[in-house]
Amino acid sequence: MLHLQIDPHSGVPVYRQMMDQVKYYVASGALRAGDLLPSIRELARALSVNPTTVVKAYNELQHEGVIEMKHGKGAFVAEAAEGMSAGELEKALRHLVRRLAVEAAQMGAAPELVLRVVAEELESLNSERSSD
Amino acid sequence: MSDPAIEAHDLSKTFPGGVVAVNGLDLAVPRDCVYGLIGRNGAGKTTAIRMLMGLLRPNRGTARLLGADMWTAPREQRARVAYVSQAQQVHGWMTPEELCHYASHFYERWDGPYARDLAERFGIPWQTQVGLLSGGEQRKAAILLAFAARPEVLLLDEPAAGLDPIARRELIDEIIDVLSRAEGCAVLFSTHIISDLERIAEYVGIMDRGRIVTSARLEDLQSHTKRVQVILGDTLPPGFKLPVIPGTIRSTVEGPVVTAVVRMDTESQLDEIRRIPGVRVNVFPVGLEEIFIELFGRGARGEFMEESL
Repeated sequence: MLHLQIDPHSGVPVYRQMMDQVKYYVASGALRAGDLLPSIRELARALSVNPTTVVKAYNELQHEGVIEMKHGKGAFVAEAAEGMSAGELEKALRHLVRRLAVEAAQMGAAPELVLRVVAEELESLNSERSSD
Repeated sequence: MSDPAIEAHDLSKTFPGGVVAVNGLDLAVPRDCVYGLIGRNGAGKTTAIRMLMGLLRPNRGTARLLGADMWTAPREQRARVAYVSQAQQVHGWMTPEELCHYASHFYERWDGPYARDLAERFGIPWQTQVGLLSGGEQRKAAILLAFAARPEVLLLDEPAAGLDPIARRELIDEIIDVLSRAEGCAVLFSTHIISDLERIAEYVGIMDRGRIVTSARLEDLQSHTKRVQVILGDTLPPGFKLPVIPGTIRSTVEGPVVTAVVRMDTESQLDEIRRIPGVRVNVFPVGLEEIFIELFGRGARGEFMEESL
């Protein structure tokens, strides 16, 4: 089952958070073309959010070509979605990195330090993975 | 839009002694919609809901549920509406089973199996006198009665008060279930637990001194309200004065950092500020609770945007 993490208090509309995460999963390959997404009712229940919010997220994702809704069958990851994944991945990343940049600047951290710490974290994540 | 399920126009109530509780309230909630009403204590939420329910007569204006004034509506009409009040008065000598039996005669769409199912899920002892249950259990029993009536309009006045976090989540899940059903139900609920609203409210109304001062789609309120942080660099000339950030609701200055909660109509409204050399602008989202505090905290004006449904 698709796992979405919603923070209703973040001030970012919940449907937006859902869209961003589905796109991220498509971009990262965790969701592939043809994969079935949970039904509106299932997802609303699982996340404890209003079903209309899920409808809105799915409609917008369909509009952007990420998913396809087939009547009576459910929502699927669209064939075309994988093609746009590189750009979407960068967009999702940029969003996260901007927050880091802002916070780092507020702490007065030098850019070199930020880059070094990021590189080190990526490095240690990689070595953890390869030792699994 | 079809006729709203919940409707108030210029609704007003002044209590003897001159206390103005509700003052010209306008509201329209369509079917299949959850409307969250927030406001400080004494803003008039409970009085407004009691007038909608026909339990209190307005001095001015109209209140209608499913097109009918509940004050004069016949029993069949009132049976399509359910209400959980803040100070629930259930008959303490009856057991939940007996209460349900009693309610099943009043509500045409009463759903007995669902009532049993809810009692089990909420952990309400079925055959214990309600008066012997804990405050939270009594509250849950009142919620059970309202939901099992399968109403077309559901009015919940601070339903989450006195419920623990797990029971609150169960309540939200039940509301979601009701919304997922085909028959369509309009839900109006007042709360001061704003985090509950952020999960399920489609529209949010902010009430202050008897009026709704802000009514908007939750997502619009969220996307149009931002925290803008302006950092003034060392390179700025001495005596530099930052122009007012357009759309400011409230702002604070701390050293070289100006922070403002801003109503954002377009991204470009910050362009002028962004163009000042030596100034950096960051924009962050703001949660509903923070918006509320910014609007009503000390020194705030309490006016934001007025959009009706």
